[in-house]
Amino acid sequence: MSIEKGTISSQQLLFLMAGFVQGSVLLIDFTVGITEHQTWMVILAGLAIAAPVVFSYVVLAKRFPGMNLVQINDMVYGRFLGKAISIYYIFFFMMTLSFNIRDVGELYITFLMPDTPFIFLLIVFTATCAYAVTKGIEVLARVSHLFVVTGMLVITSTFTLLTSQMDFSNFLPLFELPFIRMFQGIHIVSAIPFGETVAFLMIMGCLNKTEHAVKSTFFGLLIGAVSLLIVAVRNTAVLGRTQAIWTAPSFQTIRLIDIGTVLTRMDFLIGIAQTILIFLKCSILFYVLAVALSHLLGLKSYLPLVLPIAGIEVIIAATVFQSPVDHAMITQNAGIIYSAPLIFIFPPLSLLIANIRGLPKNGKG
Amino acid sequence: MGKKMKIILKCLLFFFMLMTLSGCLSAREINDLEIVVGIGVDKDEEPGKILLTAQVVKDTAGRASENGSEGDGKAFWNVSSRGNSVFDAVRQITYKTGNRLFISHNKAVIFGYDIAAEGLEEYIDYFLRAHEMRPTALILVAEGRASDILNIKPEIEKFPAFNIAKLVDSYVFTSNFYKVNMKEFASCLMSDTSAQMAPLVSIAQDEESNDIYMSGMVVFKRGKMVGKLTHDEVRGLLWVLGKVTSGVIIVPSPNGQGKAVLEIIKAKSKVTPEIKDGKIVIHIKIKEESSLSEQTTTENLADNKALEKIQEALAEAIRREIMLTFDKSRELDADIFGFGEMLHKKYSKEWKYIKDNWDEIYPTLDLIIDVEARIIKTDLLKKPAVPSEGEK
Repeated sequence: MSIEKGTISSQQLLFLMAGFVQGSVLLIDFTVGITEHQTWMVILAGLAIAAPVVFSYVVLAKRFPGMNLVQINDMVYGRFLGKAISIYYIFFFMMTLSFNIRDVGELYITFLMPDTPFIFLLIVFTATCAYAVTKGIEVLARVSHLFVVTGMLVITSTFTLLTSQMDFSNFLPLFELPFIRMFQGIHIVSAIPFGETVAFLMIMGCLNKTEHAVKSTFFGLLIGAVSLLIVAVRNTAVLGRTQAIWTAPSFQTIRLIDIGTVLTRMDFLIGIAQTILIFLKCSILFYVLAVALSHLLGLKSYLPLVLPIAGIEVIIAATVFQSPVDHAMITQNAGIIYSAPLIFIFPPLSLLIANIRGLPKNGKG
Repeated sequence: MGKKMKIILKCLLFFFMLMTLSGCLSAREINDLEIVVGIGVDKDEEPGKILLTAQVVKDTAGRASENGSEGDGKAFWNVSSRGNSVFDAVRQITYKTGNRLFISHNKAVIFGYDIAAEGLEEYIDYFLRAHEMRPTALILVAEGRASDILNIKPEIEKFPAFNIAKLVDSYVFTSNFYKVNMKEFASCLMSDTSAQMAPLVSIAQDEESNDIYMSGMVVFKRGKMVGKLTHDEVRGLLWVLGKVTSGVIIVPSPNGQGKAVLEIIKAKSKVTPEIKDGKIVIHIKIKEESSLSEQTTTENLADNKALEKIQEALAEAIRREIMLTFDKSRELDADIFGFGEMLHKKYSKEWKYIKDNWDEIYPTLDLIIDVEARIIKTDLLKKPAVPSEGEK
């Protein structure tokens, strides 16, 4: 029945989850412009709001063992409505993936390779992701260990190297911004780094044992959240007020590292960390998209879809926004609205309906 | 056949990738780089235009000195161009250099006096925005023209810009100025109340030599230069900011016949603003440790009684330095201490009112200064070499 034959252990789920959330490190820059020095609070609040929702994902996955989101939707909402909701999800995965691919492109074109054609960067990156996806979820799960550890290492080492430049009075006054901005910030954080883990509903079906699923999901989420928090605290403490003006505050922060005029120009650190973490996130999203689409179309394998999807994603990523300004505006304002029902409403609703209807009935799935 | 074809296709693909992906796109070899170590920005004679001077490293510098025959032996080339904006001028420089400037290794950006007087707001954007610019680049103001400062060949260092960076770093010995980088300047520029500061670099002109030296700090208000601080005034400021690292303080010796010269070893400060009955009081607590480094009197100062008196005089001297600076800043109505931001952090409710009326509030602030000065050593001597009359 299942298209993907690979299985992952719950420990691998933990690392996939952690890497997926860490992959959004670059995306907290969207929040920083809005919530400034209160970003750390916003991350905590976003985590608190996202936690029960993510819990509902795991419970849902446990209730339908071995099944993925498309199958669950079919079962809970019936063939017609279920398909419609699945298409909505696929649209969401598609857009999120292309936005993330575009993020990598923007990172490279702004900081690392300003003269390289944008489309070329996108193609190379997407091709790498596509290659990883053809290898299946097991391989991704195995590399996630390495990536998460590297990511953590970079985040903590840059934090340590910058401690001498930190001014913790930058966090004061604690509550200054109007509530509406905080609200928007919390919405962004709960939706983008944490809420996008709804994609794991497509992966949790591959778990070999589901008894530790809740624990590993939350540990993964926690590792990701702590990474985001360390980055947010580091940026605020080092950059202070100026963090709101930079295109990429994390990059500017790293550029300030100066230990005895020898240990400088550590840009490569964040370049490596962000590339591999976003690569992990994009690959997971890519995999999820390919599997979801092949289920919807009733294919036997998702492999034939990988190349066409890659092409479509590159084109979307290259044309969807005019500039990073456009990108930030849409993500901050529209992106989080259209994704809200998928993240916050459907999974808990599915759980409720499944409870009422007593799904899954024995003998099915 | 299919298998063979596949292998051949793969080989072709690899060969193609080898050719196209070897990373030579936009590569800039080191001998083609115009490595900039310092930038000066001045106003041009033509109104509305600026004159940008870039100090470029000559790649022949090493060879020239070996041969000993080539030209003036300068290791740098100051190339300048006019433009309507900083970036315009940066690009117009390529008329003379043939290459784009490579700014990643830029040490310092020096603004001419006339630019500073007009306001830096128009000119600073490029230095924050350009992707090769680093937020750690120093910002300075030249007394006179920046291009002149960059032209003076230092005696020891090869490049004037490196020399300037070295001079700026020497603030740790005297605490009579301090270094400000782009990020710190931008941070002050973004504040509603804080004044911005930048070190001032001047040319000391004697008959035989002209050296450059650090002559104090420039105070900006909303990007416009409003005044200068002398060496002493800067230290008054640094006491409050807790940035005094070392320096010399001279106090009269207890008998009034000579001087006790003290070196600061360590200083700490704690500043707490307070709003009391609608009046803003700033409590400043300073803890200082120093050593007796020189005395110009025959009286033995290495004595508990004498030391106590010197400590009192020292505390008074520090208090006077702070008040001197505060009076100056009151005169300029520029919040160089950042008291406004401290109030912002503590009294966020009253902040809106304070922010809007800060220019009126600032001169009315009350400072309560509490200095604890201690002399912890007398260096190599426990008695002066010339004994006093009574001890003979």
